[in-house]
Amino acid sequence: MNLKISALEYVQEVKTGNISAEDFVAKTIERIQNVDDKLNAFLTVNETSVDQAREIDKKIKSGYKVGDCFGMPISIKDNICIKDSKTTCASKMLENYISPYDATVISKLKQQDAIFVGKVNMDEFAMGLTTEFSAYGPSKNPWNNDYVPGGSSGGSAVSVSAFECVASLGSDTGGSVRNPASFCSTVGYKPTYGLISRYGLISYANSIEQIGPLTRTVKDTAFMLNMIAGLDSNDNTTIDNKNEDYLSGIESGIEGKKIGIIKEMIGEGIDPKILSATKNAISKLENLGAICEEISLDMVKYSVAAYYTITATEAGSNLARFDNLRYGYDFPLEGYEFNSYISKARCNFGPEVTRRLIIGGFVPSTGHAGKYFSKALKVKMKLTKEIDKIFKKFDLLVAPTVPILPFKLGEKIDDPVSLFLVDINTVTANLTGKPSISVPFANSNGLPIGIQLMADSLNDKLLLQAGYALEQTVSLPEVPL
Amino acid sequence: MVTEEEIKKVAKLMRIDIDDYIEYVDKVHAMINYFDILDSAGVEDEEISMPEIPISNLREDKHIPFDQKLIEKLNHYKGTYVRAPKMSS
Repeated sequence: MNLKISALEYVQEVKTGNISAEDFVAKTIERIQNVDDKLNAFLTVNETSVDQAREIDKKIKSGYKVGDCFGMPISIKDNICIKDSKTTCASKMLENYISPYDATVISKLKQQDAIFVGKVNMDEFAMGLTTEFSAYGPSKNPWNNDYVPGGSSGGSAVSVSAFECVASLGSDTGGSVRNPASFCSTVGYKPTYGLISRYGLISYANSIEQIGPLTRTVKDTAFMLNMIAGLDSNDNTTIDNKNEDYLSGIESGIEGKKIGIIKEMIGEGIDPKILSATKNAISKLENLGAICEEISLDMVKYSVAAYYTITATEAGSNLARFDNLRYGYDFPLEGYEFNSYISKARCNFGPEVTRRLIIGGFVPSTGHAGKYFSKALKVKMKLTKEIDKIFKKFDLLVAPTVPILPFKLGEKIDDPVSLFLVDINTVTANLTGKPSISVPFANSNGLPIGIQLMADSLNDKLLLQAGYALEQTVSLPEVPL
Repeated sequence: MVTEEEIKKVAKLMRIDIDDYIEYVDKVHAMINYFDILDSAGVEDEEISMPEIPISNLREDKHIPFDQKLIEKLNHYKGTYVRAPKMSS
């Protein structure tokens, strides 16, 4: 049984009867049992996966209509709710939380007969970019276990890269899908803001975060998007995508497309190997008929400060509910005064969440809001204006997903400001609501490098076409597991 | 420049007990100081506009009963009320 197939190949194989869903899912669970002690991608494994797959095989044999996934094994980031399953956000605070409802993306995938093989690791409440801030220990990069897999959707990227599932869903607030995708050599997609419902995603910074797929191929991402995108009455920020088919025409190519190279994202601090890979990617895009030209987005240098200011403020509000009364870990009420009780409950947040909550209280507070929060919002406005102006002349933008190579576990954990700068190339898409994709492109001494493409809002289809075209120009090594 | 006293005051307002000075105050201090870069962004004249969603785009405001008693999923409840410790006078 070959687990190293794409989602579309899996569907084709099951549809034609070459493999059964039960065999594939059973082998996937076996794979998780064999490799995950080392990788720590999974927080919970769905023990009923194989039974569910068997039921799907029965439906196929009986000639019943089967959903587009045909029992495809998918992992889900542990901040997306699956009914009657644990959803911990990789936090001790929600250690025993069982969701009473499905997120919209989960309902949609269930309708398509997907099988959720487990919930995967992440930085606590999605705050981080290495998965080191998980309360359940860091995930490890399958390319080299001494290195971080990126984050916050690190478990998602690891599980796809290490063949522990066929595809995964993560969430991207400042690069949390694209960064681990780049570090683990998978495709990672952040859609246009509003394209995918956030209903059932435990909020961190709701004005900019989005659910996004991590897959082996760009076509698989388009396939996933076809199933999960679109209007949702439970999330009034969703937009009508008119049931766009993202797979059709994906091989159209990019001949004649104008691509801007963002100079602020390939400047100071970039690793020479990343710069070289980026230049190579640009040359390949030109060979495909695109016209590439350097452009400037002046606000990029302020984007990380603006991003952390806005997200911390929203986190301060969104995480106020974790007080052990409505949500939170359990301890008795007796013997406490109201405020001291809540303060004790909130001690169960990990260090990074605690730091961001303090910042989230500070930056919008009286006397400081003008200096921090208002300025951050103004930077967001100006950055959006700058990028909208650029998209009047250009179809796409290109940059490395992350300006540095994956780094060792523990290397940056005590230096929050140096960690901030890892986000420099990804936060722009979040602050401006634009779609963005990370495509695996190179490998330097066994460590993956991803290239990021960005398009204008609702040009997700064009973005996927460009991602596919770029993907076809490279042949990358297999993960050494 | 942000003072450490200011950080500790905000932490208290956010109902966060700081028990590890280096872990929290020093790092938060460094993070907030990094945000000073916003002073040189030159955005003083920029207008802040928020997206407006017309009321017609919101879903109908009607009660949809949930199929389970959600309150029973809370850690502490009594009847239809959430139980909480008493507030000091």
